[in-house]
Amino acid sequence: MTAVAAPAPARLGHAAGAWRAFLLQLALYRHIWHGTAFSSVILPILYMVSIGIGVGSYIDDASTGGITYAEFIAPGLIASVAVMMLGNDMVYPVFGGYREWGGSYLAQRATPLRPVDILNGHLLYAVVFRPLTACTVVAVVLAFFGVYTSAWAALAVVAAVFVSASIAPWLFAWCSSLKSESMLNAVFRFAIMPITLFSGVFFPAEQMPGFLQPLVWLSPLWHGTELARAATADVAPALPPIAHLAYLVALGAGGWLAARRVVVRRLSF
Amino acid sequence: MPLDNEILVRARDLRKRYGNHEAVRGVDFEIRRGEAFGFLGANGAGKSTTMRMIGCVSEPSGGHLEVFDLDPHTDGPAIRARLGVVPQDNTLDTMLTVFENLTVYAGYFGIKRREAKAKAAELLEFVQLSARANDQVNDLSGGMQRRLAIARSLINAPDLVLLDEPTTGLDPQARHLVWERLFQLKQQGVSILLTTHYMDEAEQLCDRLVVMDEGRIIAAGSPRELIDTYVTKEVVELRFAGRHTTALAELALELDGIGGQIEPLPDRILVYTDDAEDTAAALEARDIRPTSVLDRRATLEDVFLRLTGRALVEDEA
Repeated sequence: MTAVAAPAPARLGHAAGAWRAFLLQLALYRHIWHGTAFSSVILPILYMVSIGIGVGSYIDDASTGGITYAEFIAPGLIASVAVMMLGNDMVYPVFGGYREWGGSYLAQRATPLRPVDILNGHLLYAVVFRPLTACTVVAVVLAFFGVYTSAWAALAVVAAVFVSASIAPWLFAWCSSLKSESMLNAVFRFAIMPITLFSGVFFPAEQMPGFLQPLVWLSPLWHGTELARAATADVAPALPPIAHLAYLVALGAGGWLAARRVVVRRLSF
Repeated sequence: MPLDNEILVRARDLRKRYGNHEAVRGVDFEIRRGEAFGFLGANGAGKSTTMRMIGCVSEPSGGHLEVFDLDPHTDGPAIRARLGVVPQDNTLDTMLTVFENLTVYAGYFGIKRREAKAKAAELLEFVQLSARANDQVNDLSGGMQRRLAIARSLINAPDLVLLDEPTTGLDPQARHLVWERLFQLKQQGVSILLTTHYMDEAEQLCDRLVVMDEGRIIAAGSPRELIDTYVTKEVVELRFAGRHTTALAELALELDGIGGQIEPLPDRILVYTDDAEDTAAALEARDIRPTSVLDRRATLEDVFLRLTGRALVEDEA
């Protein structure tokens, strides 16, 4: 048998570790990309036709800050696609990674990869690769509806990446620490669904009752939507852009620290 | 096979504690390059825990451990880069094809894609799965999945392959196929460390082994040495129709002095002897008439029984 000289550096860099772990996600994606590409094209068309144009025909531009309703919801749609994708990429794949039927983290753990590489590799896929590809497709499809009034519209995709980065590590931490599969649905019921509905994507957040406003401010999707809307429609966001960004980065960083703690514990026997 | 003297794994007073339970209670052993080394013991003996510490996925609670002269605490990734691991559960990726399972795994070791593909094809040939390269893992039988896991463990040309219960759950034919591949690896000079609770597996594959019980090593040596040291050359198995457990224990007292040690089991009595014919004659003389007498060579199973008073396989469901 020919010997393969496996490069065995004394120290595996964090970037290299994350990249190697990411290769698994990429290989898996090659098996499912047709389905996701289809939904990336069809989903925004359905939303735009039914809600953007259908519901929008009843809505006065004045109530959406002087832009059409389709223009109002387009940036939020781009950002919310990133949130919805996390429901696929960061729930069952993370939970199963530690189990006999999935086991991909257990397999990776037996190799030079450290638990933190396994975490970073999955995040690289869910936070960077997936939003950059899928949200770009969504943004391009929406362009055909003529919903961008700013030259900076492409930055809405970047806002979507930040939204993803702020939520994904928390999902990783939560799904890594669960003992039972039944709790996974809670992610959709109590996180993804309410975040998508109450973050100022489909109506201005100020329309929400006052006592719910703090929840809106907590929602990463609201911050992302504000940034994305500034990019696509040149509307001034609720806070200075740097404040929205800082919130998303801080939330993501806190999540990453929590996720690192959990993944190290789960993969140390 | 001449053994190189290079020591790959060195453990001194190695311990692992989970809460109040001490799974490994101070074990000492060395594993040398080129040898097939076994951890033999019943379920819960501490074999897999010891294996996980060597595999640098479990931090020892005490004692000293060196793998490839490196410290698992600080050099885990570098050590794991030189190990091949076949876990009990295979942990194959069921969403990927057979071939992808190897090439993706190669990526974890930083092996370039072209090289990984060539190596994967070669390893599939070795484990006789080339024809299934593009199949989904779920379509493979249990034995084939285990062979794929073995192929995967060799992707980085490891210095030491760790196999945790390599044939547990496989049917006899699949077991023999796995053994054949492992034996071939041994012939190629690959160092192997395996845990097992199958005596025949340990006898066939291991140059040297340690017998573990309740977290301790209770005996060490080659299979032959262990048999020579702890039991007699032959074993006579006596069965008495209709008599079990207590009845057999009482009957065993009547056999005192007939051979070496007498071991009553729930369904039979074992008489350790250096001469089975003498033992048969002595039974005749005492007018003890078993319904069946089986004379066989002593095995590692007898060593384990002798050392612990328990059969190795009794924990199996």
